[in-house]
Amino acid sequence: MSGFPSIWLVFFLPLAGFLVQSLLGGSVVRFLGPKFGRTVMGALAVLPVAAAFLVAVDITVQLAGRPVGERAVVETLFPWIQLFGLNVPFEFRVDTLSMTMTLIITGIGALIHLYATSYMAEDRDFPRFFTYLNLFIAAMLVLVLGNNLVLTFVGWEGVGLCSYLLIGFWYKDVANSKAANKAFIVNRIGDWGFTLGLFGVATLVAANRDLLGVTDPRWLSFDVILPKATELLALYPGAATAIALLLFIGAMGKSAQYPLAIWLPDAMAGPTPVSALIHAATMVTSGVYLLNRMSDWFLASPVAMAIVAGVGALTALVGAATAFGQTDIKKVLAFSTVSQLGYMFIACGVGAFYAGLFHVITHAFFKALLFLGSGAVIHAMAHNQDMRNYGSLAKRLPITYLTMGIGWAAIAGIPFLFAGFWSKEAILGPAVNLEKAVMLGPLTVGQWAGWLGFVVAAMTACYMTRMMALTFGTSEERWRAIEPDHGHHHHVHPHHHHHDHGPDPNGFFMNDDEATLHEAQQAEPEHHVLDRNHEPHEVPVLMWLPLVVLAVFSLGWLGAWLYEGGVLKTWLTGMPYKSKHGPVSHEILIGLSFLTSLGGIALGLWMYRKRLPESEGWDLKKWSPLRLAASRQFAIDEVLGEGSVKAGGVIGSISWAFDRYVVDGIAHLLAIVSGGFGHALKWVQGGYVRGYALLMQIGVVALIGYLIYAVSMAGGAR
Amino acid sequence: MMEPTGFGLLSALLAVPLIGALVVLFVPEQFSKAIKGAAMIFSLLAFVVSVVVFQRFEPGTYHMQLVEFVPWIDQLGIHYRVGIDGVSLWLVLLTTFLNVIAVWFSFYIEKRVKTYFAMVLILLTAMLGVFLSLDLILFYAFFEASLIPMAVMIWIWGGSNRNYAAVKFFVYTFAASIFMLVGMIAMAGLHREATGVMSFDLLSLQAEVANGRLWVGEAMKLQPLLFWAFALAFMVKCPMFPFHTWLPDAHTEAPTAGSVILAGVLLKMGTFGFLRLALPLFPEAARQAVPVVMTLAVVGIIYGAVVAAVQPDVKKLVAYSSVAHMGFVMLGIFSLTHNGIVGGAYQQLNHGISTGALFLLVGLLYERIHTRLFADMGGLKAQMPIFAALFLIVMLSSVGLPGLNGFVGEFLALMGAFEAGVAGFNGLNLWYPAIAGVGVILAAVYLLWMFQKVFYGPVNPNLVRLKDLKPGEIAMVSLLILFAVWGGVYPNTFIKPMEKALGAVRLMTVNEPGQRPVWADSTLEIDHNGDLVRVTPRRPGSYGEYTVLSVVAPANLHVPVQPEARPAPGGATARRAP
Repeated sequence: MSGFPSIWLVFFLPLAGFLVQSLLGGSVVRFLGPKFGRTVMGALAVLPVAAAFLVAVDITVQLAGRPVGERAVVETLFPWIQLFGLNVPFEFRVDTLSMTMTLIITGIGALIHLYATSYMAEDRDFPRFFTYLNLFIAAMLVLVLGNNLVLTFVGWEGVGLCSYLLIGFWYKDVANSKAANKAFIVNRIGDWGFTLGLFGVATLVAANRDLLGVTDPRWLSFDVILPKATELLALYPGAATAIALLLFIGAMGKSAQYPLAIWLPDAMAGPTPVSALIHAATMVTSGVYLLNRMSDWFLASPVAMAIVAGVGALTALVGAATAFGQTDIKKVLAFSTVSQLGYMFIACGVGAFYAGLFHVITHAFFKALLFLGSGAVIHAMAHNQDMRNYGSLAKRLPITYLTMGIGWAAIAGIPFLFAGFWSKEAILGPAVNLEKAVMLGPLTVGQWAGWLGFVVAAMTACYMTRMMALTFGTSEERWRAIEPDHGHHHHVHPHHHHHDHGPDPNGFFMNDDEATLHEAQQAEPEHHVLDRNHEPHEVPVLMWLPLVVLAVFSLGWLGAWLYEGGVLKTWLTGMPYKSKHGPVSHEILIGLSFLTSLGGIALGLWMYRKRLPESEGWDLKKWSPLRLAASRQFAIDEVLGEGSVKAGGVIGSISWAFDRYVVDGIAHLLAIVSGGFGHALKWVQGGYVRGYALLMQIGVVALIGYLIYAVSMAGGAR
Repeated sequence: MMEPTGFGLLSALLAVPLIGALVVLFVPEQFSKAIKGAAMIFSLLAFVVSVVVFQRFEPGTYHMQLVEFVPWIDQLGIHYRVGIDGVSLWLVLLTTFLNVIAVWFSFYIEKRVKTYFAMVLILLTAMLGVFLSLDLILFYAFFEASLIPMAVMIWIWGGSNRNYAAVKFFVYTFAASIFMLVGMIAMAGLHREATGVMSFDLLSLQAEVANGRLWVGEAMKLQPLLFWAFALAFMVKCPMFPFHTWLPDAHTEAPTAGSVILAGVLLKMGTFGFLRLALPLFPEAARQAVPVVMTLAVVGIIYGAVVAAVQPDVKKLVAYSSVAHMGFVMLGIFSLTHNGIVGGAYQQLNHGISTGALFLLVGLLYERIHTRLFADMGGLKAQMPIFAALFLIVMLSSVGLPGLNGFVGEFLALMGAFEAGVAGFNGLNLWYPAIAGVGVILAAVYLLWMFQKVFYGPVNPNLVRLKDLKPGEIAMVSLLILFAVWGGVYPNTFIKPMEKALGAVRLMTVNEPGQRPVWADSTLEIDHNGDLVRVTPRRPGSYGEYTVLSVVAPANLHVPVQPEARPAPGGATARRAP
């Protein structure tokens, strides 16, 4: 069985792109001028990812041509961490799961890179943007291709870093960097669970190497820990639950499950291509990948599975409910992503891991499409993101409208014709039919989650219709109502300070000429602000072309192909397809899908088709309490996010005071006491130094005396 | 007792900086460039010698190498003995390397140049002496000798509150190490009890400990006392909570090069002291002390991070972060698992690189804007993009991001603590790694916050004229970053040469007498599995291939996990969906 050394090409191409962008990008743009330089660097950013995609396609085709039992190959590059009892090589695992993810990452990644070359074309930090974006692709590939949990974690934190850097990309606004910090820190809370879960796996496997018949020194690799997991964990039911839950905490962080979902809405501070690539299509689905990869470790614990399904269902519900209260088009999509991720965990929690990944695939297409579409709208609307300013954009942005319409139909779950329906069906079917699992009242947790999933499906159809109607529909052009001075000009005037830094022999500061040049470079291009005279236009071809491609993949053919006959399930699990029927029949499920999707859409059209209702307008006093609560995320973020920041500040200040006055104070007190003692004896004149010295002398003399005594006693006793 | 060897390579390493200090002292003060040049030449020379040492070093053994023995005060059993093993190897290289960086940066110094560089070079000898000494008194002498130049550096070239900081630094650490001196004298006495000869020879003492002749009868009762006498000195040096309050003051006031050396090397004397003396000489007491030390380590990790997060002064923030980071080193070492002890020892190096680099970067900024307060910074990324990029990488290394060095050490240290917790070694449980792991989250909190305060947001109007780093400065920082990346991508370079020596220290501590490695016994060796094996005797001084005769003690690298009660057959596992 030959290997796939070309998998390294898939990884090294974006990595090389990262190095080129970071080391040469600035110089190239400076040398070739902004316009041509950015074109060159943009091409150099897109090409590696596109090439990696082609190589990945080639590998996948070859993989598919092999017998089922031979569809997992390990490629080792070098020994990474090598201790006496621990061997963690840098190794990739080429199998159906990892290649499926790789195709999504490089394929959709390349499209979004292409889109971004146009979206970011005016940005002064163009190469820096693609530095991060290429690095993200490389890190994400390590995450899904790594053949042990440690490498998965390397990618896990690597993508977290890129997410942090890209959310805070426009760093001059502190709010953006705060959002970036929040994302990184909340993800680190998840990583705490991941790390401990990983230690649990390692300790358990290491202790049972004989039982597992493991002779391979790479005992932490997936090809060692996966095949016999069920056998091993049967001996450790408690540990199995603990490990599964700890790993799930990691997944909750990265995949934005409540309560760790609070970072994702803030992450929309990043440029829109980032939201599409990282915060919708790829990175946030890492948790689902992890659960798929470690599925046998989760299946060993019914309790953990129930918790996964429960958390997923609640997240789906809360995310959808919150979306109703959002007026920022990207925030709607952010909460919709949170909600859709919840579906994926429902799938995992009821044991339909493949369905979770199925939804990862379809969601990657339609959500990337929706985000990029929203980016096109934002681009066309002078970077204003508030839907209350939009309206009747359908005729002005026809391509965006049509493609986003397909995305909308997909997420709304319109049966048969669009992709989302199929993956939702694959999740909710097994869920409502889940028996023999942890019960909650009359139903299993999985069944509750499944029925709740249908409710959320109706909500999804409704709030997505709201978003589409407010943006493209209605006959109002609401930006026409913007008061002339409504939009503030944020233009920063260059500083003309003449600071006297004193003599500057080291040349640390700019002279007047350099300062003028620097100011010119730093000056932001004049941003047109949305006003009543604005005329939106369709976006350039490099932006709408990716939309069209994504729209084609959001149609029903992909879902139908992957679902019917169990193509995807067989591909991922290697198990032959068996059509099974639970108590809730296929026909009922399809009927429910019709009902929820069309019902939700109908409700949305009825409410928003004509105009922006006043109960959702600029005057928040007219909002209903429920919608107001939704707009404030039901105070979840206020309590958890801002609350913990405040509490942390208080604890920190108290600790610091404790440090200065108690911990250090005791040391000082000792000095002062002995200093006073010194005064009395007229040996010294007080002060810390002498106090310390005296204390020291007394202590030393006493100790030496005691030790000499003790040693002589010890010797004497012998 | 071994034959005198005369002075050799390691003595040359110790002598080079001292000669450099002398040379510097003879150059008149007005030729400050010559002084700086001479200091740099001797620093580079010391680095070259340490690289020669590295080349001669044989990684396949845990024994002391390049040992030198010159008789000194025979009546008291005090002799000049130096040697190097895997535990000290990288610390020696780190010291000479960071010293070059520190001297390079110190070209900015304009005040009393001669004294300054003499102090830097004397400090270098003292630090190297600590890592190389194989005699307790010699160790003590170097340990204390390192205080004086550092205190003088703080005192003369420090900030506004430098007198207080210098005195506090000196007295606090000096007072604590007095206890160690007393303990050393007691150890020599116990050696006489056991063998009839008074000796401060570390190898001889360790051999008596390992064979079970030193700690017998009443002496055993003294062991905890003596352990804590040593431990106190090292805990103050590390520094561990609650003995850390000298550190923020010393760091804040010290000149940049002093901070780099202090964080990069001086703190490691504490953790090194545990590995070199406290664990091998007091095994039973060390094991009993595990819950206490581990608790202090965990408290330090959390406490240091929490206090760091509210500092208004960037140097104080980094100083408190050192308390947290050194807590991880101690956490790993006192887990007394192989992974943990290797992780802890590796984290020493990583902390030296990343925190040294952080202080360097802060210093580069301080040279320009003469402030350390966050309130006076902000938005520097637009002004100094290269500086920001370098700072970012160093900050991420400190955060423990995979791919950079900090991750590997922290990961292994935590893993060791986890294993010890699972197995319940020495009274540990899983709360230790679980709470220590929170420190990893908090590290992100304060370090990202720091980065934001310095680099993000609108530019501080006072700083709009600031230029980016100069090429020389970029090179200086990049050297450190090179090792941060290397240490994260290919840690084996660093771990392999020290692993056997660390494995030996662990077995010296956890095994019972007779099962312990002995530094002075060349027929014992640690094999590639970490087991202690008896090997055929070799020529003294050579560490070539050997033939294994028998296994003396297995390494027990993996902790046992008892199976829980077997679950009822069927129905215990969740169902894969239809």
